[in-house]
Amino acid sequence: MTATVTTPAARRGRVFGVLGKKAVVPWLFLAPGLLLALVFKFWPMAKGIWLSFFDVRPFLGDQWIGLDNYTRVLTDHRFQDAIGHTLVLGIGQSLGAILLGFVLALLLEGQARSLKIIRTAVFLPAVTATAVVGELWRLMYYPTSDGLLNSGLHLLGLGPVQFLDNPDIALYSTMAMGIWIWAPYNMVILLAGLAGVDRSLYEAAAMDGVSLWQRLRHVTLPAIRPALMIVLTLATIRGLRVFTEVYVLTGGGPAGSTDVWMTRAYTLGFTRNDIGGASAASVVLLCVTLLLTVTVNHLRKRGEAR
Amino acid sequence: MRDRRRSRRPAALLVAAALAFGTAACGSGSGSAGGDDPNTLEVWTRSNPDSAATYERVFAAFTNKTGIKIDYQPVINFDQQLQSRASTKDLPDAMINDTALMGSYQGQGLLKPIAPASIAGHDRITDKTWSSTVGIDGKHYGIPYSRQAQTLMIRKDWLHKLGLQAPTTWQDMLSVAKAFATDDPDGDGKADTYGMVVPGSAQNGYAAWWGASFLWQGGAQIIEPDGKGTYRPAMDSTAAVNTVTWMKDNLFCGDNAVTQPGALTAVTSTATNFQDGNAGMYMTGPYNIATFDTTPGKDKYEVVPAPAGPAGGDVLADGENIYFGARTGKAKQEQALAAFLISAEGQKLAMTGENQPVVRIPVNATLDAAKVRADARWSVVQKAYEDASQQFPNAPDFAPIKQDTADALNSIFTYCGGDVRSQLAELNETLAGDLKDQDLLK
Repeated sequence: MTATVTTPAARRGRVFGVLGKKAVVPWLFLAPGLLLALVFKFWPMAKGIWLSFFDVRPFLGDQWIGLDNYTRVLTDHRFQDAIGHTLVLGIGQSLGAILLGFVLALLLEGQARSLKIIRTAVFLPAVTATAVVGELWRLMYYPTSDGLLNSGLHLLGLGPVQFLDNPDIALYSTMAMGIWIWAPYNMVILLAGLAGVDRSLYEAAAMDGVSLWQRLRHVTLPAIRPALMIVLTLATIRGLRVFTEVYVLTGGGPAGSTDVWMTRAYTLGFTRNDIGGASAASVVLLCVTLLLTVTVNHLRKRGEAR
Repeated sequence: MRDRRRSRRPAALLVAAALAFGTAACGSGSGSAGGDDPNTLEVWTRSNPDSAATYERVFAAFTNKTGIKIDYQPVINFDQQLQSRASTKDLPDAMINDTALMGSYQGQGLLKPIAPASIAGHDRITDKTWSSTVGIDGKHYGIPYSRQAQTLMIRKDWLHKLGLQAPTTWQDMLSVAKAFATDDPDGDGKADTYGMVVPGSAQNGYAAWWGASFLWQGGAQIIEPDGKGTYRPAMDSTAAVNTVTWMKDNLFCGDNAVTQPGALTAVTSTATNFQDGNAGMYMTGPYNIATFDTTPGKDKYEVVPAPAGPAGGDVLADGENIYFGARTGKAKQEQALAAFLISAEGQKLAMTGENQPVVRIPVNATLDAAKVRADARWSVVQKAYEDASQQFPNAPDFAPIKQDTADALNSIFTYCGGDVRSQLAELNETLAGDLKDQDLLK
């Protein structure tokens, strides 16, 4: 019988093997993504948080002012108004886009070739640049009977409606465009959820003679709950940081009636050159978004535990 | 399991260290082409592709003459990009941008002070024009490059058809606007024409930019210097209340179609009704002349002085300055560039050509805009600039003042039932806050 002796070189080789194959390789695969995230996400985010405590003057020396930027932003009546608009727009746009996305998903679920073409056509708004969509909707909302929507209303003997220039309805006009853009995006996620629903449940429900509503409520919705939660989380984040839609369509006007948190932060940062204040506003938004995301996640887990 | 996790830690640290090193490596350096080459200047202008083509031609001539290369960057969202570069303390060597932004840039320490005598040909710029580049501390922070003043562009074919004259007073202007809106000046039998184009959105301060001429013509001021280096807000004056009330009652809340549809959310890029041929007047800068000569067409409109208000006919004058980025360390090359840009040769190149001119009224006093372009319309603009114009103050940081004024005006014009006096009193308090933030409140 020969005793097995492990030499230091063999041990090194084994250690290297373990590190190389089981630990280093996954990290190397992750490295490009991590590097990009670090450079373009986490580093700017950390810098933004840092700058929010300063009166930012890169060439004169930043001055530490503690929480002054936060106090200023949170007590500014324009930001307070913007919170209200952000919530109305965010909630309305999110719920509207989820509801419309769900309806579209139900209508366009299936394997037929024609459905694929229609699904692609319906999905187009989600892959078109928001700025381009905004310009198109500006034309559609043109406030005379020459405008696309107003010409339709004109045929019905209505209008013309000042979709964007009436402060009472400008926010809802923006919301309608947001729903149109994001509903197809939600549709795709919900379609994936619907594809995973056990067909036998539908057959059983059909044999039991349940109504369409009962089938939706007791079979479809519980089955696509994970997809719905993903859609809800994404919609929450998107709803709070809404910017391009508003900036392109109304610029926050008229009379600030469509100003949202991000357009205020943008104006503060890039029109008034107050980078510290804009950073503070962005950090507040980050905190609220994190809080809401964690809450949604928590509710999802509690729902799953049940 | 625990052992496996432990064995992964060094690997994770290794990757993290590599990433950190990589990031540090990416973050060093100027990040701009030719940033370290003393014979290359990085120059930014706020330009669309059309005006950028004119700048390209000017800079190519400069390189031919001096051998100094230009790394030229036309930037549309100029201020956003500039703030990003400022945060990395790596500014362009030279920038050409609006005169009214000088106070803002200087307040942030972005600019290098300039001794006019160090720029060859400085004596060809008038003292009045040089005075517009003096900062709050009495030093010059910009070199004048181009100037302009607003004039009224008006459809002469419409005037002719309706038997009207170009307006010379506010009341005339209102009558002509109503006639353009209601008397079918294009003869198509439809009520699809409007009196005047207004970029009235508060976005980027447009309502204040466009409305400033009216305020001055009505005898109002936004802020007033007291001669001792401080300012006081002046939007609560009787003249301001009367002027804003007149604008609100007649242009926004009076008869429909005096202004184009969507004026309250329009910025200049979306206020295209004059080109589209459905609005008859536009008080704007002369850079639009090249565009309007194509549509609606040179034979369709004329350029006239802005109609006068109760206190006169002053219009908003602005323009562009050459700025040197702080701490760039290429003083000689920058001065050579500025000297070329203000020389008769440099200015002429920038005033002519197929693309949009980037020098409107030349700062070089030896040149005449109308003669250089062989176009008499430019003498209307030059006369307006020289005889009847005012600029936004360049010494304080005017950006927040302009934005707050635009916000207030847009709101007043939107809510027709509001009380102008109390709304302007509120604006005045906000302006006082802006001045106080800059330690400039009287």
